Amino acid sequence: MDNRSFFRGRTIFLTFIFLALIVIVLFRFFYLQVINGDELKELREKNINTFEYVYPKRGRIISKDGFVLAEDRKIFSIAVNLNVKPNEQAIEKLISIFPNKIENQYVKDIVEKSIKTGNQEVVVSKLNQQELSKFLVRSNELEGFSVIENYERIYDPHPSIFHVLGHMGYLSERDKTYFKSRIDQYTPSLWRRVGKSGVERIYEEQLRGKHGKRFFLRNARGQKKVEIGKEDFIEGSDLNISINFNAQKKAYDLLNGRKGSIVVIDLRDFSIPVAVSAPSISANDLRDISSKEYQALLNDTKRPLFNRAFMGLYPPGSTIKPFFTIFALSNSYTNWQEQIYDDGFFRFAESGRVFNAWREGGHGLTNLNKALVESSNPFFMNLATRYEKDSFTDFLDSGSFGKRLCVDCWPHQFSPLISDQWKTKNFGSRLFRGDLVNMGVGQGYLSVTPLHLALISAMIAKKGDYEIPYLVQKEQDIQQLNFDLTEEDWKQLHESLTQVIYSRNGTGIRIQPGDMKLAGKTGTAQVKSINSKEEYDDLRENEEFRDHAMFIGFAPYDEPRYAISVVIENGEWGGSVAGPVARDVLLEVFNAD
Amino acid sequence: MLIDLRSFLIIFSLLGIIIAGSLTVYSVTSIDAFYFVRFLLITLISIILVSLFFNYVNLNRVLSAGWLLLVLNLALVLSVEIFGKEINGSKRWLDFGFLSLQPSEFMKISYALFVIQYLRFFNFKFNIFRSFLLLSILFLTAAPIIIQPDLGTGLIYILSGLMLLFICGMRRIYFILMGLSAILLSPVIYNFFLTDYQRGRIISWFSTNQSLSEKWNILQSEISIGSGGLFGDGFLNSKQNEFNFLPEADTDFIFSIFAEQFGYVGVVIVLFLLTVFVILSMIVVMQQKRLTTDMSPYYLGTYFTFIIGFSFLMNVLMVSGLIPVVGLPLPFFTKGGSSLLCFSIMLGLIFSSRGFLRG
Repeated sequence: MDNRSFFRGRTIFLTFIFLALIVIVLFRFFYLQVINGDELKELREKNINTFEYVYPKRGRIISKDGFVLAEDRKIFSIAVNLNVKPNEQAIEKLISIFPNKIENQYVKDIVEKSIKTGNQEVVVSKLNQQELSKFLVRSNELEGFSVIENYERIYDPHPSIFHVLGHMGYLSERDKTYFKSRIDQYTPSLWRRVGKSGVERIYEEQLRGKHGKRFFLRNARGQKKVEIGKEDFIEGSDLNISINFNAQKKAYDLLNGRKGSIVVIDLRDFSIPVAVSAPSISANDLRDISSKEYQALLNDTKRPLFNRAFMGLYPPGSTIKPFFTIFALSNSYTNWQEQIYDDGFFRFAESGRVFNAWREGGHGLTNLNKALVESSNPFFMNLATRYEKDSFTDFLDSGSFGKRLCVDCWPHQFSPLISDQWKTKNFGSRLFRGDLVNMGVGQGYLSVTPLHLALISAMIAKKGDYEIPYLVQKEQDIQQLNFDLTEEDWKQLHESLTQVIYSRNGTGIRIQPGDMKLAGKTGTAQVKSINSKEEYDDLRENEEFRDHAMFIGFAPYDEPRYAISVVIENGEWGGSVAGPVARDVLLEVFNAD
Repeated sequence: MLIDLRSFLIIFSLLGIIIAGSLTVYSVTSIDAFYFVRFLLITLISIILVSLFFNYVNLNRVLSAGWLLLVLNLALVLSVEIFGKEINGSKRWLDFGFLSLQPSEFMKISYALFVIQYLRFFNFKFNIFRSFLLLSILFLTAAPIIIQPDLGTGLIYILSGLMLLFICGMRRIYFILMGLSAILLSPVIYNFFLTDYQRGRIISWFSTNQSLSEKWNILQSEISIGSGGLFGDGFLNSKQNEFNFLPEADTDFIFSIFAEQFGYVGVVIVLFLLTVFVILSMIVVMQQKRLTTDMSPYYLGTYFTFIIGFSFLMNVLMVSGLIPVVGLPLPFFTKGGSSLLCFSIMLGLIFSSRGFLRG
């Protein structure tokens, strides 16, 4: 075959392939550019346009007496500017401004990290005014670094307030679940730090505010390039809490390093002006804490992170006696006239066990009034033998055992509701009469939180009507004790509690409250079960096993305005140790009125 | 020498493509206007100089050095292994200071010159021995390129060589057999001869999973093209390029940036110019009045014209997501020295082949 025509045939074949491909390409580009053009353009805009959230300023927390307890303070930090990579001179210059804070390798590492992650990593944080102006003056020589603003939570440094306010921390999985069920349309991805405890946690939604946005065009590596607009954030709302900060500080200082708790309830509205747990820390200390230091705090045997006021369960000891007086009188287990002979022992016929009372020789002939004023254990043990189990549980139930004790305290612990079911569940057997005898003097299975003790004091002061205490927001329903007591009985009960403080034989005679008109009940709660005074003398060698000093009270007794509970761990004497503390705290609280 | 209408149109369409290419290269690198002028001038001058050189040199002389050029070129390809600089994990470039060359690019030319020189002795008659010899040399010389590893250039080289043998008249049965064996052997090649990087490119083309980074590149390329719409966003207005969303925007994916700026209209114009160039060149080659016994100028002219045409289309098919992406520069849309030099030489040879024909 002729080379030339053969060649022509093949050339034409290739030309056809070429033309076919041209047609395919034209169709493809028509599809991409004309048919799909708008859709692809939208994708491009999504590529380029982006925004970042601006964290809002969190609301302040303000005490009833006007102290700002927590607020967001603007801080300035120097961060790597992602648009320009800082050169060696800029790094040296920066170090010369902050010679003691940073060094070369550290800055270089952070710059590398910034470029890698696409985040503006902070090189120097929390500049003071002087450092800030130093930086700004030289900023043209410091290419690659820029000042960024954000907020830092500052708390009043007094440790008394930590447990009430709580603290902020990085969002965890548990926090997500917690807030998801409590905040509408919760978007965890927006929040880095959230309230971890206290009112910071409960009132997260009100305090946090709303994010602003900064819109900008970005490149593929996510480095910010051009800011094209912004939307301002909305500040969180301020929170007014019922704490009387002066009294709160005073209360903490009065504990003077001892472990314990003080709670005061305002009887006019059931708000909480004082809720102290000691020892404690300042919430500021938790802000930049290392995990090692945090672990040390957790392992501290004094448990400074544990909120005793809302979480600590203590045997109430004798301070529970007025509460059970209401129960005994309303069920006619006794009256004000009945007398028994107190020889310092209580012999429990059912088991043959002999209980040793705190006072040697006993109180002699004792009626209910004397049993309260001088705190006779045999009287109340004897009384407890008459208690009927189910109505005892009902009474506890009406006194908020096993229920929430505060509207907005976090974390928060119920005082266990003692019943047959409770004991079966925890100890595998039903309640014995002997258990009731123990509980009748505030020992055994009975345990309450200091908040609950103050509430019990409030119930007594308000003659059975009470509300659930709160720190910020009141809950509207009113609770009532399950009782049937005449006005006479109430008067007599208040009179007996007044005599505890003012009568010569009263266990609280050492308190000397002056003209405050204090009524109350002292208590000494055993940490370990003992049978004799001698045994206790051995025990008290170890401070941890010493009795807890307790006091509950209210004032003024004729028109009660405040109820208080004081628990001092291993303080031994309710009357002489816990009582005077209660007196001084109440004095401070009354000062504010 | 008088320029007839066809030659004028050929040169006009080429000039159009070169200007479009220079504008796009400038918009991607966008240093300053002076840079653009300089770039355009360098491109044009180098094309003209190289073309004139090959036009001036007797094609017979060039052809008689065919085997030598192939050996030299192969030596350069191999020397890359020793002296080459590494980019993206593969050694392809020789650095001459003012210009980095990729010797493998030139293998398309050297092999063609060698084949034509060889076949000329036998008046372009193929027999089994010659067919096997030329095919073996093609595959053996492709091997070092593929090993570099530069599968793209290697494959393009093999396809170019096959096209040349097709043009020169090798029997059809060889192509059919090779096509069949390529299909049968492809799983073996995929599993045993490709690197992970190369497999990734192939996987990404077949996969619908957009998160694969290779697929992401193609998606970004399609976004660039589509964003141009009918009329384009205008010169220097490629946002995909400005914000670096399109990787390799200055080399393999440059046509997407062109499409974003000049729209479908721009694409149609450039493809039209390319078609004019290819078709008119073919017509010129085939309508040579004077018959010659030596077919080599026809073969060379046709071969280089189609190399330019198909290289262009292959690249465009890649960036628009129709075929897998392998590194293949777009003719005249690149600031890469090798590619520019390579296509300039091809143009020079095309022109010289016609001059040769004209006598």
